[in-house]
Amino acid sequence: MSVLHVLFKVAGSEYALPYSEVLHMESFAGATKVPGAPPYVTGLMQVRGRVLPVIDLRVRFGLESQALTADSRVVVVQAGKRALALLADSAREVVKIDPADYRAAPEMVSETGQGFVKSVAHAGSRLVMLIDLQKVIGEEHVDGS
Amino acid sequence: MSDRVDLKQFVSGFLVEADEHLSLANRNLLTVEADLKQGRPSPRAIRDLYRSLHTIKGLAAMVGVEPIVDIAHAMETVLRSADRRGGVLPARALDLLLQGVASIEHRAAELAAGAEVQPPPRALIDGLSDLEPVAVGPARSPSATLTLPAEIAERLSDSERTQLALPGDTRRALRLEFIPSPARAAEGVTITTVRERLMPLAELVKVIPVARAASADAPGGLAFQILLLTTATDRELASAVGLEVERLEVIRKAGPPAELPAEGAGETVIDEGVASRGVVRVEVARLDDALEKLSAVVVTRFRLGRAVTELAARGADVRALQQIVQESARQLRDLRGSIMRARMISVAEMLERVPLLVRGLARQTGKAITLDLDTGKAELDKAVAERVFPAIIHLVRNAVDHGIEAPEERVRAGKPAQSTLHVACFERSSNQLELTVEDDGAGVDVAALARRAGREVPTTEEGLLALLTLPGVSTLEAATTTSGRGLGMNIVKRAVVDDLAGEVSVRSVRGRGTTFVLRIPLSITIIDAFSFRCGRQPFVVPVSVVDEIVEVKPADVTRVPSGKGRAELRMLDRRGVAIPLVKLDGVFHLPSEETPARKAILVRRNGMPFAFEVDQMLGQQEVVVRPLEDPLVRRPGIVGSTDLGDGQPTLVLDLLSLSANLSRRRTDVRA
Repeated sequence: MSVLHVLFKVAGSEYALPYSEVLHMESFAGATKVPGAPPYVTGLMQVRGRVLPVIDLRVRFGLESQALTADSRVVVVQAGKRALALLADSAREVVKIDPADYRAAPEMVSETGQGFVKSVAHAGSRLVMLIDLQKVIGEEHVDGS
Repeated sequence: MSDRVDLKQFVSGFLVEADEHLSLANRNLLTVEADLKQGRPSPRAIRDLYRSLHTIKGLAAMVGVEPIVDIAHAMETVLRSADRRGGVLPARALDLLLQGVASIEHRAAELAAGAEVQPPPRALIDGLSDLEPVAVGPARSPSATLTLPAEIAERLSDSERTQLALPGDTRRALRLEFIPSPARAAEGVTITTVRERLMPLAELVKVIPVARAASADAPGGLAFQILLLTTATDRELASAVGLEVERLEVIRKAGPPAELPAEGAGETVIDEGVASRGVVRVEVARLDDALEKLSAVVVTRFRLGRAVTELAARGADVRALQQIVQESARQLRDLRGSIMRARMISVAEMLERVPLLVRGLARQTGKAITLDLDTGKAELDKAVAERVFPAIIHLVRNAVDHGIEAPEERVRAGKPAQSTLHVACFERSSNQLELTVEDDGAGVDVAALARRAGREVPTTEEGLLALLTLPGVSTLEAATTTSGRGLGMNIVKRAVVDDLAGEVSVRSVRGRGTTFVLRIPLSITIIDAFSFRCGRQPFVVPVSVVDEIVEVKPADVTRVPSGKGRAELRMLDRRGVAIPLVKLDGVFHLPSEETPARKAILVRRNGMPFAFEVDQMLGQQEVVVRPLEDPLVRRPGIVGSTDLGDGQPTLVLDLLSLSANLSRRRTDVRA
């Protein structure tokens, strides 16, 4: 059975998340810096009354951060009890993908992708990557104090 | 999906209620034990215990947790006969009953964690039934027949079947089918509401979820079969739960009214008890939701205030408007107070398990301990209680394990064999609670401890605390089963200081004992705060921690030579006192700005002043602090975020712990 997926772009590549993990998408106008937070945490933003950490996917994926554009979007995700915002270059499409059509990412991809890419699938004729949300949002405990 | 939510709600409701009855049971067991020592019967406590277990059994049956049903049933049987004997328990019964409560608690925890619930411990059930060789209850004539489909009949335990078929019962036994569906959920009818609405009318014996082929009639592929005993009519029941009468089926008619069984009588009393208390149990999450919404209103109020100020700046007459805004601010504060009060639990409630804990520890270690528990009348926020309670458990364990000596050792030292453990709590100020755990044991062997940790022997109480809270330090050579390798103190510090922005202090005298004092906030609240700019972004800091705000005049500042790679440290000469001064933007690695008339915020930690230099003070206002939940953004020195009215989160700083962090980094370099 086909399931809705949210597509978003980071540095020219397309990524997908099943709708069940996504709360909503929002435009992004900047975040409040949190001193001491990991570098990929751009800061905090207020979304519909909640205060959420924003993860810059470019930085998370080992790329240079980019200046905000009119296309910049955050994908607000829910993982267990945590809700976070993922900052992408753009996010506007919702497509149907059958989870049965997920293919394991080639070994080299999962290795170089630091495990962020769980599998790949086709949205129409385009290849999209399914990300491992738990990996991307980081461990429960961040070493700090 | 709706049925899954239903079941979950159902279970969490069960856990809340069971928890309450379990703690009541524990309290009553301790009363019974005290009576037993005095050779007194305890008719009242036994009766209450019986009721608690009976209720737990009923609740467990409803959510289908058979192991708990079985344990509660075995305990109930013992208690019922003890009740008939005027409140006298057979020998050995007390320990088995305590074990029983512990086993139920254990299984409830498994259920809460979503784990598989273990079967009842055989030894316990056997032990309990050995206590009670005589058959109890009214003579059980072969039970009246129940008209039940086989798929349901086979899921009833013996005790449930007996309960439903009890011949003397004047109530009818009914089967009610409830099929959850999104449509019903939209009308507000879920298994939880059905159950809640049935409660005043009927005794629910069991609720059995039954798989159904998914159809238009049962879109979730699930139905609940509710078996109940009632004197209400079909129509009353159906209208109470908002279902059709056809969903009801009589499985046993009412019995002759002659012989009312003992259980029935007990039931009535329980129901009255619950109804007359006027208590509603609410999950904290629902109150949080209300608070969250209130926070949004408070923010809107700030914006309104701002708009009024702007109007005034443009020359409008805003006096009447201003009065209304002030009035609404006051009302919002009151409303918030009301919600916060609903979140409060009494300290007595929080500490009610301590006697049981001490009793268990005393038995395990063979030490003789009198607990002197003084809970006072204070109340504290449930969220705070949840964080501080584990710390108290650690302190009590440490006191028994590491502090208090064995009786013979105490006698040798010229002390009474019986030791005293003092656990007390009092409200120090309107927003601070002081908790004390004091033992009259051996005190900390500071020299030995320092040697093991490879540190110098501390000379101050603060130094001792730092040593005790080092990860992995234990005051006992061998780790015991109860308090591992001394990690406890580290956890205490984390919970109290890091999570709650409280304070810990310790006093220990060799041979005389050790005292720990925890100071914690009663709640997480709207605070009066200073807002300021630093590193191009605004921050706020609670007014309560700020000693003073001073201007940083270059003439008053002296640079301190500092090692390589360290943030620059300076000293501020304030009325002849040299105060350490750090730039907050430097500490936070934020871009620095050169602003005229720079300010420093002075805080005082344990009497020692510390100054943070900031770019610009913005003002003072009330802010709603929201704790930062996500581990990615929970950083030292940051307690939460707030909204100053611009829709952007503003960080709320804890300059006290930040100053503590900074001085630790500087002085503890030997580590």
